[in-house]
Amino acid sequence: MKKINSAKILFIVSMFFFSFVHADSPYVDKELLNAIEKKYTPFAKKRFFYLQNTLESVKNESDIKKLDAVNTFFNEVKYGTDMQVYSQKDYWATPWEFLSKDIGDCEDYVISKYFALRYLGIDSKKMFFTYVRSTKFTEPHMVLTYFATPRCEPIILDNTNRKIFPASKRTDLIPIYNFNAELISETSKATKKEKSHKKWDELLLNMKKKKI
Amino acid sequence: MTLFKQIALIISIFLLVILMTVLTLNFMSANQAVQERLYSDAKNTATSLSLSLGTVNGDIAIMSTMINANFDSGNYLGISLVDTEDAIIYERKSETKSIDVPDWFLNIAKITAPVASANVSAGWSQVGILHVQSDTSYAYTQLYTIFKDLLVSFSLLALIGLSILSLLLAAVLKPLKRVQEQAEAVARNEFILQSSENIPHTKEFRDVVLGMNAMVKKVQAMFNKGNEELKRQKELEYIDPTTKLKNRKYLIDKLPEYLKIDASSKGGINMLIALGGVIQANEKIGHTAVDALFVDIANIFQAHASNYENFIVSRINATEFSILLPECSGEDALELAEGIFDAVNLSILACGLDIHETFLSIGLYEYNYEQTIAQLFTFSDNALSKAKLEKSHIHLEKANDTTEVMGKNAWREIINEALLTNRFHFVSWKAVDTKKRKIAHKVLSLILQTNKGKTYSYGQFMGPANQIGLSTSIYANVMHMMFKTPNIKLKNSLCSIRLSLEYLDSHETYKDLSQLLKEYAAKLPFRLIIEIPDKLARKNSELLKLYKILFEKYNIDTGIYEFIGESGDYQYLQELRPAYIKGETSYFLTQNSQTLSALRLITDTLGISLIATSVMDTNTLRELQMKDIHIIQGKATEMIELS
Repeated sequence: MKKINSAKILFIVSMFFFSFVHADSPYVDKELLNAIEKKYTPFAKKRFFYLQNTLESVKNESDIKKLDAVNTFFNEVKYGTDMQVYSQKDYWATPWEFLSKDIGDCEDYVISKYFALRYLGIDSKKMFFTYVRSTKFTEPHMVLTYFATPRCEPIILDNTNRKIFPASKRTDLIPIYNFNAELISETSKATKKEKSHKKWDELLLNMKKKKI
Repeated sequence: MTLFKQIALIISIFLLVILMTVLTLNFMSANQAVQERLYSDAKNTATSLSLSLGTVNGDIAIMSTMINANFDSGNYLGISLVDTEDAIIYERKSETKSIDVPDWFLNIAKITAPVASANVSAGWSQVGILHVQSDTSYAYTQLYTIFKDLLVSFSLLALIGLSILSLLLAAVLKPLKRVQEQAEAVARNEFILQSSENIPHTKEFRDVVLGMNAMVKKVQAMFNKGNEELKRQKELEYIDPTTKLKNRKYLIDKLPEYLKIDASSKGGINMLIALGGVIQANEKIGHTAVDALFVDIANIFQAHASNYENFIVSRINATEFSILLPECSGEDALELAEGIFDAVNLSILACGLDIHETFLSIGLYEYNYEQTIAQLFTFSDNALSKAKLEKSHIHLEKANDTTEVMGKNAWREIINEALLTNRFHFVSWKAVDTKKRKIAHKVLSLILQTNKGKTYSYGQFMGPANQIGLSTSIYANVMHMMFKTPNIKLKNSLCSIRLSLEYLDSHETYKDLSQLLKEYAAKLPFRLIIEIPDKLARKNSELLKLYKILFEKYNIDTGIYEFIGESGDYQYLQELRPAYIKGETSYFLTQNSQTLSALRLITDTLGISLIATSVMDTNTLRELQMKDIHIIQGKATEMIELS
């Protein structure tokens, strides 16, 4: 990966997060929407209006309602492997690529849900990217887990299940490993290194480039 | 500082700054790479260990063991597991250990091992966060090795770079060296022309060389013009146009060389010869035939005198001639005069003239070196007057016996004693630049102080020394004395010493001086000018060239004395480039303006000063100044108020 200045990255990431938590600003700005329309179709742009409407509808609701709304919205997107969509074995799409193309794999759902929930003001420390094994299929899988408190049972946001459930209800999933984006950001800030998580770092760089 | 050094210094500094910058950037990059490697290792460990810890369902004992196993088998500064509320569950930290790198390096490298973190879960539950920090000691050692390698590489690079730079500069500035040599030669009044193949290709250098070549050609042309003019004037000044013999002026200018205390000859015969009956001869055979007769007579004189070294045959006026014969006795001179008389008579007869009407009268005067020119001419005239009255037309006038205070043996004893016991001492007087009112240089002379306390001046002892053949020994002795035990009072001054023809014109002297200068020249506390007689200088011999190289090597200037401008070519002045030329006051005063201008043109071109010697009074000084001669020696120097 191309080496970039760590301070710049941290600044951009901070600004990026700031834009998500600033509820008065739209989730996707107008300029980017026009670019998405130009590259894809007006329908793609329209999907972002629907997303904005969804997010606006729950912005003053409880975390659970926000989780449910976001999970439901993104689970409408079609599933497609990275090989099918991006001709790569494993690719983490930006939220704009995911919704513009209207197709993606499990990581893409998790990423989009994560940033949408960040926009809605959910504490990033409560959300984990969790690698799981599904008893229903053999491919590696990822879900977004939400911990209301560090010690309580997490809620699973999964693209294979339309509803959100507590972990104990998801007996089809076996947790393997999880990471918290906030912890990665803190580590990056402390070490002044942009290399904290290969795929995460790559994703942030693509988002900085506003890859659509 | 030379241009080469300046450019080399600037480029070297520039090169070293670049190399140092690259070295620093390389080192910083290596430092960053090492730190990134430390973080990467820690991150890998954190991820893999957290995955392993996640499989033990939160069993603290197993987790501690797994952390211990990882910590002990790897290079870590610390591994810690904290729970979700930041309380430490288990922690391992490295004991402080010494690092095998110098302290200064630890201070400048400053490696900070970043802490990598990973979440640890037990099923869906969070156990906490695992923090891993790599050990820096190995990183320091690795970085120190990289630093040393970089330093060696860059030192070699710098060395090679500077060597190439030096070679390139030397090649680029090579033409400049020649330009510099030419410029220095111009400053020394030497005429060096760069040949066409030596004209540099660099435009600026080429322009400079072409400019200097043009200037040198002009100066050379000026010198040649002066040389030609002086030669032409010499012809007019010194040569009798009919007989091609030297004239009266030449004789007068030349006589001081014979009538001096350190003359190489103690004396001899001056023949004053008059041809009587010329008017009648002209009437009988005409001017042309009489002139032809004069030429015949001149040839007879030359032929008869040529057996004597340093003879002078000159035509004094229309009917009178002089033959100066150093080291010639009265008896020999009488015999010679008779031979001349007879030979000339035959020529007169051959012209159809009567030898009783047209005949020679020969006055012989036995002169010695202590006499003046006026005395020599007066006594010679007396001898001629008497000869005209005598039947044989030949008369020998003996010189008045000079009363010798001491005999030759007494002098030999005194001088030998003085040589053995170093009884010679230097005294000095001034050569003064009357225009600047400053001392031009100090003139060193000698005195002899006997062990009985009696002091003899140079004028007293050098004449006898010449006659007993000890003058060369005296010069050798005083030269050794001057270099080996120099007079500290003369420190930082400019001093001249006059060396005789006899002393200098010897390879033994050259060898002796070479050795002497090699050992002592650097220690001489004053600047020295060695004066060479014009007679030796104009020979332009190989020996003189050796002296020139020798003196230049030891930064000793040369001067010329007894100059009367009698050379057929003044190229030798260009070769020798003396600091000055010394001539008798009478010489300068009797030269016409064209001759002096031509001499000035030559000396000014070569940067040579003209110095008049034996200036005795202010009137003479004024006359010299009118002729643009401003540096003088003699009594008159005492009358000048120095600034």
